[in-house]
Amino acid sequence: MRRTLLVGLATAFALQAQPVPQRFTLPNGLRVIHLEDHEHPVIRVRLHLELGPSDTPSNHQGLPLLATRMFLHSDAADLKAEGFDRLLEDSGIQLGSCMKPGGLEWRLAARSRDQDRALGLLADRLLRTVFDPTVLETQRLACWQEVERLDAPPFQRLEAALLQAPDARPTLASLGAITLEDLLAFRAKVFRPDRAWLLIHGDVGLEQAKRLVLLSLGSWTAQEPPQSMAPTAARVPASIPPRGPDLLRIPAPGGGLRIQACLPQPSGLAPEAASLIAMLIPGEPTMFPASIAWRPEGLLATLDTGAGLTSAAARSLLLERLEALRRRGFTASDLERARTAWTAARSLASLDAEAQLDVALDQAKGRGAVPDRMKALNLDQLNATLRAWLDSGKVRWGAAGSGERLDALARP
Amino acid sequence: MRLLVSVLVSFLTLHAQTPRLADVQERRLANGVRLLLVERRGLSAFHATLVFRGGWAEEPSAAAGATELLARTLYGATWPEDVEPSKAQPGLEALLKQEEGLLEGLRLERLQQRQDLAGPSSLPALESHLESVQARLRALYSPSPLADLYAARGGRQTAEATADALLTHTELPQESFEFWCHTEAQRLRSIQLSRFSQTRRNLITELRAQGPQGEALLRGAALPGHPYGRDLADHIPSLEALRWTDLRALARRTLRPDHLMVIVIGGLSLDSALPALERHLGTLPTPPEGEEALLPEIPADLGDRRVQAALGGSPSLLCGWRLPTRRHPQHLALRLAAQLLGGGRTARLESRLVRQKGLAQHVDLRMDLPGGRLPGLLTVGLKPAEGHSLAEVEGALHSEILRLQQDLIPQDEWLRAIAQLEADHVRMLDEPAALARALGRTWAEGGDWRLLEADAQRLRALTPEAVQAAARAWLKPSHRTTVLLEPLPGGPLNPHEAEMSRVLQALAALRLQDPAQRERLVSEGLRQLRMLTPEERLRTLKLLETQLAPEKR
Repeated sequence: MRRTLLVGLATAFALQAQPVPQRFTLPNGLRVIHLEDHEHPVIRVRLHLELGPSDTPSNHQGLPLLATRMFLHSDAADLKAEGFDRLLEDSGIQLGSCMKPGGLEWRLAARSRDQDRALGLLADRLLRTVFDPTVLETQRLACWQEVERLDAPPFQRLEAALLQAPDARPTLASLGAITLEDLLAFRAKVFRPDRAWLLIHGDVGLEQAKRLVLLSLGSWTAQEPPQSMAPTAARVPASIPPRGPDLLRIPAPGGGLRIQACLPQPSGLAPEAASLIAMLIPGEPTMFPASIAWRPEGLLATLDTGAGLTSAAARSLLLERLEALRRRGFTASDLERARTAWTAARSLASLDAEAQLDVALDQAKGRGAVPDRMKALNLDQLNATLRAWLDSGKVRWGAAGSGERLDALARP
Repeated sequence: MRLLVSVLVSFLTLHAQTPRLADVQERRLANGVRLLLVERRGLSAFHATLVFRGGWAEEPSAAAGATELLARTLYGATWPEDVEPSKAQPGLEALLKQEEGLLEGLRLERLQQRQDLAGPSSLPALESHLESVQARLRALYSPSPLADLYAARGGRQTAEATADALLTHTELPQESFEFWCHTEAQRLRSIQLSRFSQTRRNLITELRAQGPQGEALLRGAALPGHPYGRDLADHIPSLEALRWTDLRALARRTLRPDHLMVIVIGGLSLDSALPALERHLGTLPTPPEGEEALLPEIPADLGDRRVQAALGGSPSLLCGWRLPTRRHPQHLALRLAAQLLGGGRTARLESRLVRQKGLAQHVDLRMDLPGGRLPGLLTVGLKPAEGHSLAEVEGALHSEILRLQQDLIPQDEWLRAIAQLEADHVRMLDEPAALARALGRTWAEGGDWRLLEADAQRLRALTPEAVQAAARAWLKPSHRTTVLLEPLPGGPLNPHEAEMSRVLQALAALRLQDPAQRERLVSEGLRQLRMLTPEERLRTLKLLETQLAPEKR
């Protein structure tokens, strides 16, 4: 108890040293979070666009990813794609995009002396990019290669593939069905200031940040989807298979057989309980000879089998261990230790500007764990969350191994 | 006077443009541990990196994989039974010794079985005994993930084994600093490695599953016989033969205080941090100096080498040039040359080969592969675009190298490359983890962390002529190795490769008893054979077959 109190006090003092997020909203609805930090002449900007499952029409898996690639490889603001990149690189500005759970993100890092140019270029990229139809085919293929990660080691490929929900996983067929019109419709629907959060961290004062944001993104307005966009889903050829096989199989020529089960994070979990499970689960010793790890998308249970174990036996062993863990649950002491560790870990964000942006965004969106609710979390709630998560009915299975061993696998 | 003013102004401008590492404070503890401390007042946590000089390149080949295993076993987690074994679990050490004996017995028995299939086997008995010992061991292990001493305090730790160093990175709240000093000293005093066998099994599983890698092929062909050219996947039998006590003994010899640099970045001042560091890490005993590892030298002018292989993936070209070490006067110029070639989306290779000519889908350029303490490689990986051959991509790459060596470098391109490197440097200074890593690697590779700052300051003084001269001196055909990875028409496994492997195995079995040595010989033989053209490979295979008895051909 005394230690918890001490840790809590120390953390409270420590957190005061971190930049305090300040929020303002532009007239066009763009919400801005500003974290001022003058330690180094660097600014980091993140534009987060909220994305829901309904934003991707069925059989168009990969649409958001393809759209971000199209942004990156198309002309913007009267500049050819390469000319635009040259402007960025002339100042050593880094601009990239990525998919995050629940959103699309653009991340920018620049020296603070280049902040005007950096924000201006981000705005050009977002608001003044004209999708280039001539790069669509190349980007479609590149998108598929990015998803499949064909050159990655087999175990990494298996994990990456399993962590994606089958109904969200792009395939060549789903990517092939996406037309330029679909991309434009997606852009009109999602790229709206009222669906976006802009986060700024670093060597820029609040007033200057307001000025910069207003100048660069103040003119951003929502676009109406083009009239011809409405029947997008109807144009999808009916022959496209909706998803891959139930058991993902990745060839690993020289290895034994790895069986992996992914338990996706259920929607609607309390962030506090989910944060503690993320601390209590990885490396859980009762899973032996299997192991379990936490990823933002879900829990991953892994079993490497020798020649003596059939795949059916391996799967039932994994299920048995998960079920035992589900029934056993956590103890009051587990809860207390995890809560103490969580409280102490909050100060680590001071070491990483991107982590501070993560925390600020989570808090703004109301999805991050907060101390008051963490304090109020009880053991029953924690164990109920664990049971919901380990529900074996929602397991996604995958295997990596030699062709022979993969062929021998029965479908679960 | 006017001259003086202008010199002063340009000096100050230059000074303001390139941030400095002036806030790095350096000390040496009594036992030889080097300390770098960077005070960042606003931080409520600290980042600490331990750098042990001497990475996997210095491993004796019988202990191949030891540095990787140490990174995973010693620094993969911080269990109480590993930090203070006598207090936490007094019976642990005896059980670990028993496990070691059984593992070795099993290994030898399996080797025996391979040679004499009909003979009596004690395998089942040994396996069952090992299982029971391992079950007893597991009962002594910490029962919960949060028993990890750092995780319980909200911290995190990672470790990496590079060719030149073993690095471990820890982040903890500031109030745990003394605890961290104590724990790290205890970890090095006990070197318990309680999860050794489990970690080794996982590593071997990973190595077996990943199959042959293009980059490993390139390193092996470009740096033959040199530790930088070693592929751990070729040393699995040595890894299997490595014992728990061998690894502990090796760790005691190599993880020495005088080979250690501690880098701390956080809200701690030197005055507040130093006493704890001296009390704990400063009192670690220094073992007597062993013999320095003698590392072979490879002349950069080894000749233009080519390897053709079919690993089953998509076609790609890997080209590597032997480079000088990080300390070499031309190293920085080569870094800038690399930046011009492949340091961004507008760099020459991406711009011309991917965007303008559409010859390649993807460019990947890396420098100092696998390390920079010894002469390493500058590598370029290219994937041909649909409808283009490896030969076309190779020709285009060599044209770009020639252009860099001979044509005037346009001013805008030159300034862009400098701006990118400077911006990278500023961002690195802003991120404690990146700064600590850069300081540690610079010390391990270049012998002096100040090289990091010196390079940043020298960047503006470089001239395009110096970069071109370095490119002419080092990026030339006699320094080059080319690996052509082709897909196989017949499927993922190359029948010739499989046949060669079979013949080499049979020949090696005639001459060598030790399977580890046999496997090494076969790997090296295969690597050499891959450098021949397909016709030469077939001829060599036939010649080798004639050395086998007819029934074994």
